[in-house]
Amino acid sequence: MIKVVAACGNGMGSSQIIKMKIDKVFKKLGIQATIDHMSVGEARSAASSYDVVFCSASLVDNFSCKNSRTKIVGLVNLLSDVEIEDKIKENNIL
Amino acid sequence: MGDLYTTINSASTLFANNVLTKPEFFIGILVFIGYLFLGKPIYDAFGGFIKAAVGMMIWNVGAGGLVSTFRPILAGLNDRFQLNAAVIDPYFGLNAAGEAIKMIGMSLSWTMISLMVGFGWNILLVLLRKYTKLRTLFLTGHIMIQQATTCTWLVFFAIPELRNITGAIWIGLLVGTYWAVFSNLTVEPTEELTENSGFAIGHQQMLWVWLTSKVAPKIGNPENSVEKVKMPKWLSMFNDNVISTGTLMLLFFGVIMTILGEPYLRGMDKAGFPATLAFPTYILSKSLSFAVYLFILISGVRMFVAELTESFRGISDKILPGALPAVDCAATYGFSSPNTVLYGFLFGCIGQFMAIAGLFLFKAPIMIITGFVPVFFDNATTAVFANKFGGVRAASILPFCTGVIQVMGGAFAAWYFQLYTYGGWHGNIDWDTLWPAIGVIMKNLSTPGLILVIVLMLMIPQFQYRRSSNKANYFKTADGGGL
Repeated sequence: MIKVVAACGNGMGSSQIIKMKIDKVFKKLGIQATIDHMSVGEARSAASSYDVVFCSASLVDNFSCKNSRTKIVGLVNLLSDVEIEDKIKENNIL
Repeated sequence: MGDLYTTINSASTLFANNVLTKPEFFIGILVFIGYLFLGKPIYDAFGGFIKAAVGMMIWNVGAGGLVSTFRPILAGLNDRFQLNAAVIDPYFGLNAAGEAIKMIGMSLSWTMISLMVGFGWNILLVLLRKYTKLRTLFLTGHIMIQQATTCTWLVFFAIPELRNITGAIWIGLLVGTYWAVFSNLTVEPTEELTENSGFAIGHQQMLWVWLTSKVAPKIGNPENSVEKVKMPKWLSMFNDNVISTGTLMLLFFGVIMTILGEPYLRGMDKAGFPATLAFPTYILSKSLSFAVYLFILISGVRMFVAELTESFRGISDKILPGALPAVDCAATYGFSSPNTVLYGFLFGCIGQFMAIAGLFLFKAPIMIITGFVPVFFDNATTAVFANKFGGVRAASILPFCTGVIQVMGGAFAAWYFQLYTYGGWHGNIDWDTLWPAIGVIMKNLSTPGLILVIVLMLMIPQFQYRRSSNKANYFKTADGGGL
């Protein structure tokens, strides 16, 4: 079971979209995960207690996690199952 | 027979007193029924009920805090300078419209009915796409709540005889038409920006996205992109909504409280401002408590919107598979450089601040306070589209103009619809331009005005279809199967 957070500007709209999309892809790949969604401001403080942070590619620079646990994944098209699946494989998220 | 009538009558009174006046339970029940309808197990439906109700109750706590923090400051401005103030932000607007609706003896449950009607109407309009030429389904839950609430107040304010169930249905048709028609208008620009990613914008600046895509090419050259501009690194800290909101509140309320003056505030707020507390400390803690209550309100809205959005998605998957989803404007930001987003924010800020200074210099009766959501998201979105179609020149000029119009339109709307009494206005750009116009039409023409607006909006996609160069492609559906 991995811990995942989806983040966006205000933690309302696009993070909810990311959450629903990665939930769908995780189910397809058989990955067990709990997924939260919040704003970048909140996620910056909470990131180190998550295994993966998903956000828009334009927000990746806001995260600088020094630990080896947290992976930051930036998405160009938040609604693309294909892109999400590729990035999950690319980053070795299990 | 008489007994049955009495029973039904008392049951409906019970329902009206205990559910309709308690929107948290009303929305909870809607989510519960929605989950059962989607075939989810009963414990999931129960969980949805709890989260929706608790979310709405958290929202109420935040709203109550905002109102009580704001009231003395609004009163002070009025008392000392005969000035009114309004924050132009959808959450302050939601708060203000909600208070106004309660003040005329109505409940927010009417808003929820309008929301459901609007969603259903949007589905129906897309089902009839052969005739309506509408392709997009608005799925952005938090925006739907905000817009349905403001729209409810506009109609209740403009047409008092519609303060009933008929009114709630008309409001749903009005706001649902806006969702369907204007998200449909963003399809072409969004598809061009995102290289056919299969979504449209369902947010607060849909008219603006379309306008920007038409105006930007005339202003600049897309070859000179913002991506080549170097931005100072510290600006990116405003991506953090806690920092942005806190800074804006500190700036504006700091100035307002300094103008009101220490002696006045000491006299006014004896409990909150004891003799041992220094004035700067008082200003700092009061200003930041606006941010605190705003975040409480937002986290409540987030909690119940998450439930609502799940149900909406489930329902649309069942009834309308493959409809083009209209989603949050921030979904486009990945298709531009981080620079562009901050660039729009910066020029929007300059526009807003200059317009606010203008209001002040010309002694307008309303003072506008910048809110985070419109100044950030509207202007960032304008910049992203302006940059795509007109490069760096368009991405500076258009957000600047948008900032100015946000303040001017917001000031007019807050004054005309009397929401300055509660210190807030919706403030996003479509709600500073299109919706004040709709409100004025309804105020002058009453119910026929409302119907006229719906009919006029429904004509837009007809022209759009007629003018589209590739009619075979017009109805292309999302390949990913929507959300």
